Amino acid sequence: MPKLSSFYVEVTTGEHGREDIPVFAINGFNLPFDDVDGDCHPGSTLKATGNPDSFPHALHLVGPAEGSWDIQQVKITYFPQGETPYSMVFGAATLDDESSLNIWKRRPAPAFDV
Amino acid sequence: MPSWFSKVFKGKESPSAADPVDTIERKNPILDEDDDFEDEERPEKAKIRKVVEPVVLDDGTREDAEPAPADGIRIKAAVAEDMQSCKLMVDRAVFEGHSVYAHSPESAAECSPLAEALFALEGVSQVEVYNMNVTITRRYRSDDWEELAREAGSIVRGWLEEGKPVVTEQFLDNLPSPETISEKLQEVLEMEINPGIAAHSGEIALNRVEGNTVFIHMMGGCQGCAASDITLKVGIHQAFRDAVPQIGAILDETDHTAGTNPFYTSLPAGMQ
Repeated sequence: MPKLSSFYVEVTTGEHGREDIPVFAINGFNLPFDDVDGDCHPGSTLKATGNPDSFPHALHLVGPAEGSWDIQQVKITYFPQGETPYSMVFGAATLDDESSLNIWKRRPAPAFDV
Repeated sequence: MPSWFSKVFKGKESPSAADPVDTIERKNPILDEDDDFEDEERPEKAKIRKVVEPVVLDDGTREDAEPAPADGIRIKAAVAEDMQSCKLMVDRAVFEGHSVYAHSPESAAECSPLAEALFALEGVSQVEVYNMNVTITRRYRSDDWEELAREAGSIVRGWLEEGKPVVTEQFLDNLPSPETISEKLQEVLEMEINPGIAAHSGEIALNRVEGNTVFIHMMGGCQGCAASDITLKVGIHQAFRDAVPQIGAILDETDHTAGTNPFYTSLPAGMQ
């Protein structure tokens, strides 16, 4: 598993938003996003960069401290150290004060037609 | 931008001649109350939360997709991370309702003519057929899978085009019911596997049996453990297949990045 230098997310909020900017958790520690643009109001898209610079055994988008947060879609681009970036798109999920979203996926295995 | 690691395990910058190693004062921002971190910089230990697994709408592999032949069968090959097995993903069901597994040419001859044909390829040591996937495993790891994958793909394509049976009638006739499989595997878990891995705070649960396909879940110390894949393939698979030779695929439904005890939810011992 390569070190994850950084990742860029675009999180589109659905019906229920949140007032604050979410944090992410890397291996059990919460960290703030950098280069934040936008917010998590209904229908809005939050664009932000995470800089864990670590081996991502667990990478989560942390739910709000209170209330619920409807995520419509998450687009994420991973920047592993020494490797080419790769992207994923995740579907809808709802988070609350007891939950977080797994946003770590390994690079999919290369596939070829046979 | 300081990294997560440097924020958590904070010390001075890299040692230099003017700053010998033995003079560096290591401070731990999580534990040291008198450090010089601003409050907003201090990494907050995450509260244990339920982890929601997202639906992956696009993993980027579609970009490579080419249109399938008008009336042909499209097969994509994906090599596993350990480079020892390759999954052939067919655009239609190869074997529905059940799955089949063979670990030798002899066992393949008894249960699956398709697996037997695949065993004729050099180096194949295991064949598993489950729904739209055919997974072949080699005796040894290899970074050159293309030729073998193409040969295997050609066999699978030809098999489907000719409508040949994937498994023998004898195999289907001798399949135990899902309830029987479930009972026997539950006994193996309770009598053999879970007592053994309890020392590692691990536990394996049987989620369900569909046909002869087994779905399990790893908990406690097994969830997120770097050795879980080896435990699964070497230990659990063997014990399950010894108990019920007719079972096919064994699928791990564990989210190894989630749970209450995966990897580092606290600082490692010795760092405190």
